[in-house]
Amino acid sequence: MVDPASSFLGKMLLEEITPVVMVLRTPLVEEACLKNGLTFVQMLQPFCVFNNIDVPVRTVSDQPYRLHKFKLRLFYASDIKQPNVEAAEEHLKEVVTRAAEKDLSDLSSDPPQLDDLLAMNSESLPLWFKIFNKELIRTLSFSEHEAFDHPVACLLVVSSKDELPINKFVDLFNTNQLPSLLNDGVMDPKILKHYLLIHDNQDGSSEKATNVLTEMRSTFGMNDCRLLCINSAKDGSEERIGSLWTPYKTDTSPSQDLGCLLNVNDVSEIKDLMQDLSSKHIIPHMEQKIRVLNQQVSATRKGFRNQIKNLWWRKGKEDTPDAPNGPMYTFSSIESQIRVLGDYAFMLRDYELALSSCRLLSTDYKIDKSWKRYAGVQEMMALTYFMLDQSRKEAENCMENAFSTYLKIGSTGQRNATRCGLWWVEMLKAKEQYKEAAGVYFRISSEEPSLHAAVMLEQASFCYLFSNPPMLRKYGFHLVLAGNRYYMSDQKKHSIRTYRSALSVYKGNSWSFIKDHVHFHVGKWYAFLGIFDVAVKHMLEILACSHQSVMTQELFLKDFLQNVEKMGKTYEVFRLQLPIINMSSLKVVFEDYRTYASTAAANVRESLWQSLEEDMVHSLPMSRSNWLEPEAKSSKKDKDSNVCVVGEAIKMDIEFKNPLQIPISISGVSLICQLFPRSEVAECELTEKDAHAHPYESASGEKNDAEELRKLTSNWELNSGVSSFALSEVVFSMRGGETTVVQLTVTPKVEGVLKIIGVRWKLSDSVVSYYNFDSDHVKKKNIKGRKKSSQSSSKNLKFVVIKSVPKLEGCIRHLPGKIYAGDTRRLVLELKNQSDISVKNMKMKISHPRFVIPGSLEDLNVEFPSCLEKNSNSEHNDVQPSSSKQPKSSLFSFEDAAIQGGTTFFWPLWLRAAVPGRISLYLSLYYEMENLSSEMKYRIFRIHYDLEVLQSLDLSFQISPCPSKLQEFLVRMDVVNRTSSENLQLHQLSSVGHQWEISPLQPNEAICPLQLLKAGQALSCFFKLKNCRKSSMFEGSISFHSLLQGHDVRLGPQGSDKALFDVSGSALADFHHHERLQQGKSIQGQQGTVDFILISQLPKNRADHGLEGQSDLPQLFSHHSCHHSIASTSPVWWLMNGPRTVHHNFTVSFCEIRLGMAIHNSSKEAISIRMSTLDVTSSDGQLSDVAAAAQDPISSENQGGWHNVSLGNDIKVTSDALGTQFGKSSSDVMAPFVWAASSSTRVELEPMSTTEVPLKICVFAPGTYNLSNYTMHWEVKLLGVPLSAGDRTRQLSGRSPGHPYYITVLQSP
Amino acid sequence: MGREVSESCVDSLVIEMVSAYCNRFYATKPELAARRIEAIGYLVGHQLSERYTIERPRFSDHLEAIKFICKDFWSELFKKQIDNLKTNHRGTFVLQDNRFRWLTHVSIDPSPANTDISEEPSLATAEGKAAQATSMHLYFPCGIIRGALSNLGIPCAVSAEISNLPACSFVVRIKA
Amino acid sequence: MIVCVAVVGHQNNPLYLQSFTEADDALKLHHIVHCSLDVIDERVNNPKKTGPTLNETFLGLLYPTENYKVYGYLTNTKVKFILVTTDLDVRDADVRNFFRRFHLAYVDAVSNPFHVPGKKITSRTFADRVSDIVRTFGLGTAV
Repeated sequence: MVDPASSFLGKMLLEEITPVVMVLRTPLVEEACLKNGLTFVQMLQPFCVFNNIDVPVRTVSDQPYRLHKFKLRLFYASDIKQPNVEAAEEHLKEVVTRAAEKDLSDLSSDPPQLDDLLAMNSESLPLWFKIFNKELIRTLSFSEHEAFDHPVACLLVVSSKDELPINKFVDLFNTNQLPSLLNDGVMDPKILKHYLLIHDNQDGSSEKATNVLTEMRSTFGMNDCRLLCINSAKDGSEERIGSLWTPYKTDTSPSQDLGCLLNVNDVSEIKDLMQDLSSKHIIPHMEQKIRVLNQQVSATRKGFRNQIKNLWWRKGKEDTPDAPNGPMYTFSSIESQIRVLGDYAFMLRDYELALSSCRLLSTDYKIDKSWKRYAGVQEMMALTYFMLDQSRKEAENCMENAFSTYLKIGSTGQRNATRCGLWWVEMLKAKEQYKEAAGVYFRISSEEPSLHAAVMLEQASFCYLFSNPPMLRKYGFHLVLAGNRYYMSDQKKHSIRTYRSALSVYKGNSWSFIKDHVHFHVGKWYAFLGIFDVAVKHMLEILACSHQSVMTQELFLKDFLQNVEKMGKTYEVFRLQLPIINMSSLKVVFEDYRTYASTAAANVRESLWQSLEEDMVHSLPMSRSNWLEPEAKSSKKDKDSNVCVVGEAIKMDIEFKNPLQIPISISGVSLICQLFPRSEVAECELTEKDAHAHPYESASGEKNDAEELRKLTSNWELNSGVSSFALSEVVFSMRGGETTVVQLTVTPKVEGVLKIIGVRWKLSDSVVSYYNFDSDHVKKKNIKGRKKSSQSSSKNLKFVVIKSVPKLEGCIRHLPGKIYAGDTRRLVLELKNQSDISVKNMKMKISHPRFVIPGSLEDLNVEFPSCLEKNSNSEHNDVQPSSSKQPKSSLFSFEDAAIQGGTTFFWPLWLRAAVPGRISLYLSLYYEMENLSSEMKYRIFRIHYDLEVLQSLDLSFQISPCPSKLQEFLVRMDVVNRTSSENLQLHQLSSVGHQWEISPLQPNEAICPLQLLKAGQALSCFFKLKNCRKSSMFEGSISFHSLLQGHDVRLGPQGSDKALFDVSGSALADFHHHERLQQGKSIQGQQGTVDFILISQLPKNRADHGLEGQSDLPQLFSHHSCHHSIASTSPVWWLMNGPRTVHHNFTVSFCEIRLGMAIHNSSKEAISIRMSTLDVTSSDGQLSDVAAAAQDPISSENQGGWHNVSLGNDIKVTSDALGTQFGKSSSDVMAPFVWAASSSTRVELEPMSTTEVPLKICVFAPGTYNLSNYTMHWEVKLLGVPLSAGDRTRQLSGRSPGHPYYITVLQSP
Repeated sequence: MGREVSESCVDSLVIEMVSAYCNRFYATKPELAARRIEAIGYLVGHQLSERYTIERPRFSDHLEAIKFICKDFWSELFKKQIDNLKTNHRGTFVLQDNRFRWLTHVSIDPSPANTDISEEPSLATAEGKAAQATSMHLYFPCGIIRGALSNLGIPCAVSAEISNLPACSFVVRIKA
Repeated sequence: MIVCVAVVGHQNNPLYLQSFTEADDALKLHHIVHCSLDVIDERVNNPKKTGPTLNETFLGLLYPTENYKVYGYLTNTKVKFILVTTDLDVRDADVRNFFRRFHLAYVDAVSNPFHVPGKKITSRTFADRVSDIVRTFGLGTAV
């Protein structure tokens, strides 16, 4: 605990509460002094402070003690009055501004860091706070209600040059320019006077002066008069002593040297003048006065009697209306005297006495309700308590009491309250209760005008900083408050200062709201002061404020841009966060030996391409890595870096995200690259080295960022000049929260090593931001699927540029995006070769041969679709071989086609949409360079298309053996038009394979009645299929060629002479082959299958609305359905043959009819067959249950045959269906017949053999009879042959009802 | 609070989780599985501690927090308290549970190798394997403890040891 | 009436701050909450000044700013809840009750699988619950 006297407050009191000496002087005195650039008072000031005056004093109770430190305060009489408010305010403002001027210098420096703030202590506080506080207190001096500012003595000064100096002395005091304090009787006019005669040695010798002195002595008394000689210095001769005064001269200019005419003697003379004045006159006088007053006080107030009297007397004065500052007390009033007593005692350090008298007084004032005086006394008590260093609590209570009392009396006391507050704060500080001190500051601030409040708040904030533990958040908060107040009383520099130091608190923590606010305002104010660069720096901090409201965001952005503009030059930022770059989405597309037709193709997975290209690439001698060899020679490390070709652009997709909700405009987006020509690759290595020497990952600190920025900018400047590569520039604008991907390209122009360093963009044309890719690890999604993630991104963005090689570009002409299933058309593959070198032995691989197959060159110039028609020209014959051998491998090589430089090359492709759905076609085209000198021996051109295939027709076939002929079948075709809007015209149905021969049921009339099949319409029509092959052909193998021969049936309207299409012709045949392969997968090897091709067309009159409006309508639809087995589940076919009509005369007898049943065994094994005829009676039941078994086909039959049937080629069911149909109709059989022959016959049949079984029926009445009421039981005879897989699938025995056979018996006339 | 849950449900959940990580995801690298499971436990503990410390005065020191784990936390989880708590007063605590619920159903079946005395090593290995499998079930509770403590502001490392089943002890080492 | 409630994480990072006034005094409230952290630290570090029982989660009245009253609550997991109100006479019981319910809400909020520990609480359910709690503040001690 420090001794109060040595505490700051103590020191302050010791020099602020000291005796005041009133100075009265004649103008000539002033004149004499001003020669030294000093007023009279100023001249004396340095000598009013005595650090060891050592005067013996006695307390009222005669205890002797010695005063050591002492101070006099000199004031001209004219200054002894309350300073008027405005002037005071001005003065204070002056102080503050001066302080601001001082520390403007470091405004441009970095704001203070937190830790060195914490290192601060109360000493390191800016000095001007103390000055300000002192000045603030001074504005209250010479108030009436307290006595320590009342003059203790009066110093009358007359110059020896005045004539009649004695009279001067007299009327100096009598003139009514005495301060109001003396005139209106607040203080005792009888005041200790001291007479001083000033003699200026420059006006001759001092005899005259000495005469005057003696005269004075005679008139005013011996020892109250004195002579002071000044200006005795011969100018320039003595050493300077001006330094004495400098601390006291605040305002004037230092130009004129102070006290130039004063020499050592003068100074010493002044010194003992003051010494005597204080020690011989003032102190004794005060001591004396204290004694007197004390006696009076004790006479009137001490002792019980006096107390009572006093109380009673005060009650008597009740009626006096209490003015705001209570009743008026003249100097003669006992209260004033006590007050004087107290203050004098305080000034002479007799604190006990001071305290006791203040106590006494406070009660009186309290009773009198003269609150101001009461407060003053309380204040005094507090100070004395403090100086006594007794109970601190008391001190604080008194101070608080005073404080609140002053506040209570309103505006007049408000400033006094502030003063109390300041005292109070100092007390607390002395006790290191900084937190409480801060609180008091805060209370003061709420009372004061904004400027003072600001200063108070700032001091409060420091208190929080110094409190233990430091309360940083409050520190920050109060700084912000202070800054705000400073701003209101426009002290911008101060507000900046405070906000800046507040920043250190909010730095890095997540209270973004506050941080933004602070940064924003600091920025604004800097801008106001015209320090734009710093302003912009602060604004930058808050640009990416996605958490703020839209309005705020706009505000921030607007101000930021304004400042940047004001700054004049374009501002360059490292990694501006607006917009944000999404590094993870960074993507580089470049073409080495792989070239792409479209970005779509580029985005396809590499593995997919590779799987497609495998045999294509490996089919040639050189291995994939060959093209790299020259590089390998030149430098090792190029091995792992990508290769690109001169003149071919490297594309980079960068994703920008706008964090704000407001639109921003970005311009001039382009890459920053470095290209080291082949000659200087070594140098490039060097840069690589040092790049790795200090990796960018550590580019976090300010320094590194600046460094980065410098590098980037320099590179950029290089870029703009350089001609070795070309950059693309992108301009775009983003809506709020939008994310856009932009593609930037760089096109190298010379060989060497190219590095993509970063990207640069302009935010709304004013701010340039640089972003370097190196510094964080780019997880580049590498298109070419090479495992590169292990390498550093800098490698990923490094390219070896090799000299230009030819590059094919091209597309597939008029390939529709949407297409109906079955649509078959001819496309053209178009390849351009820009370079002047020609490319040769090209190969092509197609991912879906079922959809696209390469045609032959001839197809180009024949017109479509007629080229497919059957016109017996030799053309399709020589296509056969090509088409026949092609489908073996889908690798197609253009025989010896070479594309000369600069030419364009066409090749036909056949497209057929095999199945509905979405498919993506991949074409990959391999070619080699003409000149093998180039580093790249071959390249691959990749084409990718997405195709959407819509449903068109779906058709199903159903084959059942013909009941009337062996080896003949009924084919039922069900077609449904599933298109949304198209009407289709069925054109032809062809069966593939020479052994099959399809024909309409009735050769002469058209099969399908209607012109065209409307959308959604279904149709089923019947054909006859004949197996025109000897049974021995089964195991015979036939050539593909002959297999392709087909038979066609023209569908559509009668007599349409349109040419049929040749299904065995080039394209269709190939497609059919692929179809077979495809559909064959589902069906396991079964012998005896047949394929159908249905060809349909759009009606001619329909050119108006295309599929997607484009000119080329689908002209030809070919639908292939394959592998329709004709092999029935029952290996036996039988046929009843006999007469159809019989004439018989029933009057004679019943009629016997002989019939024969031909049975054929179509299976490979011997079969035993039992045919059992049934009686009519039992036949009913048999029929009925079959009918039940075959319910649904009938019911669906009733709907006029519009339905589709499952492709299941199960003869049994259908035969049942047939049987039942006739069974139903057999209900109109009138009279029964009986089987005349044995009711059951058994035959053994060798494989592939036919036998004839005789039958006989007896008919008793004429009519039509259905001889279907018999059943065939058959059983495969296995001669110890184990079942083969194929066998297991078919059943080994079965029973089938008889086929209907109608016989009509007529009564013969 | 008053939230209740079927015990067997939790049991099988834990068992399934462990087996999922050990046998399916990281079958080859058990230490990785262990870390994942422990991480899950950490999060669970993190949340549970948040819930179970409601309405409870703050802990003034580590010991109090550990005691909380042993008493209230444990009984919230397992309807019983830790049976024995030891500490070396230098930041290491040993929490012993003589009948750890999640191990009550675990029993290392005597492998056929056990029957004849000749194959000591195989027996040992079998035991070892079983023990390892069991220890997998302990990473989850370890994580819970660690999560709870670190959420209470006590960063620590937790390991578990199986003495004879179903007793086991958790060792908490508080990071200085 | 309650002006603002806030949740502050154990690294004194704001997890949730909701003001219930029309006036846009968000900044001010942020400041108040931020400053109150100082007081909380103080209370916790020298507990002699803390409320009735030692280490109680409820920290009581933190400090009266010019026209607000700020109450604090510190969970065992060093998460702070701060309540700023303009009511002149607030019953301690009410505030305690408020914080109890708030704590429950918070626990449920952090049990939300989509909540990332240590990140801001964005769940709408939580917001609704909080506003409900705030609405029923002081209406008797009904939970």
